[in-house]
Amino acid sequence: MRIRPFDFKVATSLADALNQLDQAGSNARVLAGGTDLVLNMKKKNILPSTLISLHPIKNLEYVEEKNEMIHIGALAKHADLAIHPILEKYVSILCQAVGLIGSWQVRNIGTIGGNLCNASPAADAVPPLLALDAAVVIATLQGEKTVPINSFFCGPGQTVMKPNEILKEILIKKPLKPSAGCYLKLRRRKAVDISLAGVAFQAESDPSGQRIEQVKIALGGVAPTAIRVPDAENCLVGLSIEDAFQKIPMCADKAANAAKPIDDVRATADYKRTIVNVFVQRCAQHVLTTLKNYRGQS
Amino acid sequence: MNRLPIHLVVNKEDYHLFVKPNRVLLDVLREDLELTGTKEGCGLGKCGACTVLLNGRPVHACLTLALQVDGCEITTIEGIGGEKMHPLQEAFVDKGAIQCGFCTPGMINTAKALLDENANPSEEEIKQAIAGNLCRCTGYNKIVDAIHSCGCQSKKKKGGIK
Repeated sequence: MRIRPFDFKVATSLADALNQLDQAGSNARVLAGGTDLVLNMKKKNILPSTLISLHPIKNLEYVEEKNEMIHIGALAKHADLAIHPILEKYVSILCQAVGLIGSWQVRNIGTIGGNLCNASPAADAVPPLLALDAAVVIATLQGEKTVPINSFFCGPGQTVMKPNEILKEILIKKPLKPSAGCYLKLRRRKAVDISLAGVAFQAESDPSGQRIEQVKIALGGVAPTAIRVPDAENCLVGLSIEDAFQKIPMCADKAANAAKPIDDVRATADYKRTIVNVFVQRCAQHVLTTLKNYRGQS
Repeated sequence: MNRLPIHLVVNKEDYHLFVKPNRVLLDVLREDLELTGTKEGCGLGKCGACTVLLNGRPVHACLTLALQVDGCEITTIEGIGGEKMHPLQEAFVDKGAIQCGFCTPGMINTAKALLDENANPSEEEIKQAIAGNLCRCTGYNKIVDAIHSCGCQSKKKKGGIK
């Protein structure tokens, strides 16, 4: 399978990449890991005139804690993020999700920035980032701008980024109270498959572990972009953990009702909606049990 | 489309090549370096037949542009073992983990990376690691057995040293 000819440029820094991208015109693309881009070029879905490779830029692969924030460089690879101690400590839901992306081969070269910019409605990194209220930093020729993740995606394959902008990093606020998260994904087969539906469930309790203070539920693969489901979240907020267990079925029904899946080659809309219901229940059980077990430990 | 220079270290040997941008690593390995042990299966990053080690980690050579890995260290199946077979290769033969053999180079590369990272992986860890390598002959059990036996051997050796 041949790839159509294109020009290849190498960027030595983010600033250099921005300049080259601007000069190369709107049909140029930035190359990170390439697991989606090269595949789409092979399939002739994307035919860029120029690729600007970011491979020499090594200082965008970081995961750092700065005050209350966690900063993840856009070129950090899925395989590294899946086992990163800072992420495991604070936002294990993200580790769970990126560890389920593609195969080991894909995770070893694919980047979180690429996963976001590719903007697949089924991208695994997105629901956890929505449930964590993350933000992304976009580098432009004029400087940097921060965009909340919930306004980053416009539709399948589309983001608010202009053709001459580059995603620089992802920002996640560290949870300050006891928190737990769970990501579940439905696939036709157990390994290496695109999500039919993904559910991310993140909750925070008060410091004593008695009451649920915050619940964030995000669904992937069941709408044009990943979505939050506030009605379902509100079912559980403010309840004691014991009461919250009782409300799980109601919460799951609301989440399933808010999903807008379509029939496609992979599964019917009805099936995806049912799965959202089941997965929200499983996630909620897991998260509430984890929060309950924190009691007395802090 | 101009050819651009790259430097690759393939199986510990240096190569300075001029490569067109639209060529993937798989093509360069097979056609320019004549290392035909690496196979093209689907060409779409699904089957894992083209798995090579990029700086020690398994990746799909079919989805990686050659220019993208300038300066990197690549290991193909030809670089595993030497005069004698690598213990993993021996284990695959002993356990009957090879039938048609088309998936084997990719499978061995993935397994080697796994054992380099984790000398004694569990059956579940092995299955996770080779999830991206399809085999249509063996049904995987013998492959998992072979990797597992190799893991156990390396553990025994370590135990012996103590």
